Amino acid sequence: MLDAFVSGFWQVVAWPAFGYLLIGIAIGFFVGLLPGLGGLATLALMLPFSYTIKQPVEAFCFLLGMLAVTGTTGDITSILFGIPGEGSSAALILDGYPMSKKGEAGRALGAAIMSSVVGATIGALSLAISIPIMRPLVLLFGSPELFIIAIMGISFIGTLAGSSLIKGLLAGGIGLMLAAIGVDPQTGAIRYTFGSLYLWDRLDIIPVTVGLFAIPEIVDLAVRGTSIAEKRSEKLTGVMEGVKDTFRHFWLVMRCSLIGVYFGVLPVLGANVAQWMAYGHAVQGLKDRNLAGKGAIEGVLGPGSANNSTRGGDLIPTVAFGIPGSGAMALLLGALLIVGLQPGPEMLKTRLDVTFAMVWILIIANIIVAALCFLILNQLAALTFIRGGLLIPFLLLLVFIGSFTANNSLNDLVVTLISGVVGYYMVLQGWPRPPLILGLILGKIAENYLWISTAAYGTKWLLFPSVIFLIVLTVVIIAFPTIKERRGRARYERPEGTI
Amino acid sequence: MKSEKCKMARVTSLVLTFAICILPFAFIQDLYAQAPFYQGKTITIIVGTKAGDVYDLYARAIAQFMPKHIPGNPNFIVQNMTGAGSLIAANHVYNLGKPDGLTLGAIFPALYFDQLTGRKEVKFDWTKFTWIGSPTVSNHFIYMRADTPYKTIDDVRNAKEAPKCGSTGTASTGYYMPKLFEETIGAKFNIVTGYQSGGDIDLAAERGEIVCRSFTITAYHAREPFHTWRKKGFVRELVQTGKKRDPRLPNVPTIYELMEKYKTPEDARRLATVILAAGDVGRPYVGPPGVPPDRVKILREAFVKTMNDADFKGEAAKRKLELDLVSGEELEALAKEVIAQPPETVERMKRVLGK
Repeated sequence: MLDAFVSGFWQVVAWPAFGYLLIGIAIGFFVGLLPGLGGLATLALMLPFSYTIKQPVEAFCFLLGMLAVTGTTGDITSILFGIPGEGSSAALILDGYPMSKKGEAGRALGAAIMSSVVGATIGALSLAISIPIMRPLVLLFGSPELFIIAIMGISFIGTLAGSSLIKGLLAGGIGLMLAAIGVDPQTGAIRYTFGSLYLWDRLDIIPVTVGLFAIPEIVDLAVRGTSIAEKRSEKLTGVMEGVKDTFRHFWLVMRCSLIGVYFGVLPVLGANVAQWMAYGHAVQGLKDRNLAGKGAIEGVLGPGSANNSTRGGDLIPTVAFGIPGSGAMALLLGALLIVGLQPGPEMLKTRLDVTFAMVWILIIANIIVAALCFLILNQLAALTFIRGGLLIPFLLLLVFIGSFTANNSLNDLVVTLISGVVGYYMVLQGWPRPPLILGLILGKIAENYLWISTAAYGTKWLLFPSVIFLIVLTVVIIAFPTIKERRGRARYERPEGTI
Repeated sequence: MKSEKCKMARVTSLVLTFAICILPFAFIQDLYAQAPFYQGKTITIIVGTKAGDVYDLYARAIAQFMPKHIPGNPNFIVQNMTGAGSLIAANHVYNLGKPDGLTLGAIFPALYFDQLTGRKEVKFDWTKFTWIGSPTVSNHFIYMRADTPYKTIDDVRNAKEAPKCGSTGTASTGYYMPKLFEETIGAKFNIVTGYQSGGDIDLAAERGEIVCRSFTITAYHAREPFHTWRKKGFVRELVQTGKKRDPRLPNVPTIYELMEKYKTPEDARRLATVILAAGDVGRPYVGPPGVPPDRVKILREAFVKTMNDADFKGEAAKRKLELDLVSGEELEALAKEVIAQPPETVERMKRVLGK
């Protein structure tokens, strides 16, 4: 096993594998920065190029290297402009963008990138460590368990609600309703599509997220008539400060990384959900919850680490069974087949070194991209001091191109615009936006797995020990803030401020 | 006077320059008249799925090799138009594609179900598409976990409790193939739908949440976890849908054999024919109605030549794309056959499709 571990490393750093890794990183770097254009779509476009690569590890350096860094650089766009660079980076806007407004972009970026490296490393090591127990680990979660986990996620709406619990719950409810749009998989009934074929496939999460978060910020920037950063802080950047923050809150980063791994292993959940869970967890732990949404560094570290560690988790079912854990993994699986490898139990026996090479690619790619980012972070942070009027046309262009790439449909732009208007009024009236997104993502998952559980087990699944354990855990998570608040009421009132 | 002359000279020179400039264009018309239609043109393939999907992989491979088999060697562009199980792409090609032989669509073979069952979103007549060809056919089968009491399809027919099969939705073969076996040979299945993907269903089979699934024979032999499953004897293959037994599944009865055995009545057989025709249609390439016959001929011939091209075959093998050509003429005949159905068959079909 140790031989394979070492051999994996040498295969990754050997020429030309390392060259492919660098090309992959360079592409992933820009894909991550550009909003909407996601790792998955790029992977699909780059797949044909990997056909010409003969060695499995070399092909993987190119593809996995690219995928590994998109999560990291996606965080940068979220923090600097309030526009999600990747679907899985949206949660970083909540506290990262207010930091930019305060002139602390450097610190936020430092924290996001350092926590990404830690997250990616933990994700990769989890993959390595779990090799012997992969199969039971993946089989642990059936449909009933996934249903309860989705419910647990929905219960986080309370944490993400900010000042008004009622508004938060209502926003979450609207999200759940929006999730009902489209062709229902159980009966084939068409719900709320109003004759539009586009809506058959349910609302795409990218245009909604981009519209809901980015457009209000752009409008706000135009109204304010200043640069993104309202004031120039004494220290221009404080990138190192952000790095130090990662280690100041090291256990938080660890816990959020593990949340990411966990959601990566679960089929269908992945980074889009993990980031919100990690954010909710990070904000729950704040001593003064008034700070949430106003530039708390914890709110950057949590999702920053979680959305990178999911990559390692994602790979676990892919490697253990040859069954992809996400859309990106399905494409990687295709690449593996072309280079003549069959992931699954057989590959773990005969080509363990390839699995370890994947571990190394995740780690090395993230370290390289972090180093690259640190070189240019000061320049990037300086973008927040450019006059808004010059940035806005460029940002709007990015927003709409990004949304359009979701389905190459003009309807994506319509959805973005409508979400933008809705988002703007939500901000104006003090309605929190994250619950809506969470409801939209989890509504479909919760509905499907409730149906499957009932169709497969009747009502018996309600008494599964694992289900009961998860229900108890959910109740604890819901009750925890209230209990903590009761205890601490003498110290502070219910937090104000909207996320 | 002098200025007048000067002006004249200037006008003359302008006219001359203009004439010299446009002179070459006068011949171009002639040049084009002799050159093949497709020279310098671009053919767009509109694929009804996301980039990276199997339909997309086929289209991109074809776009790479087909130009050299068309006189004039046109360019090919692959464009992805996702949504509504390729219905958006089909509607687009049929209604907005110009019938000039420059727009092709790669669409799902079972879209005619929606036309037959009268979905109002269908904006095409399946029989009027210009059929170019399909690179492959897709026959299906059902796997059953080996540790269940259902050893053969007979056991499923006689079982007190129907086995649970997984599917992604009512429009997937995972749903309507087991339903078809209910209608034709009286096997009972309990179909659990709502899984996110095929992989999701296979994991559920590993966990024992469901025990059977219907999908393509090709995929079953192309990747994991199925290699391991076959080696360990984790699953059995119960039935297959091709007209003949697939060489890889020589001991598995076909639905046609079973319909003989159980004396399936004629109307149920007709239903089977309509639904199973989608497998023979494979992964079709179509153009809008009304493409000039000479261009249809060029495209159909080029399609056949591409499929027989040794380089293309090599590349397809490398990319794990199975080839089994269906010609445009065959597709056209099939399309006409499936749409001409009596109302009773359509009613039964609606039942099978969960509508």
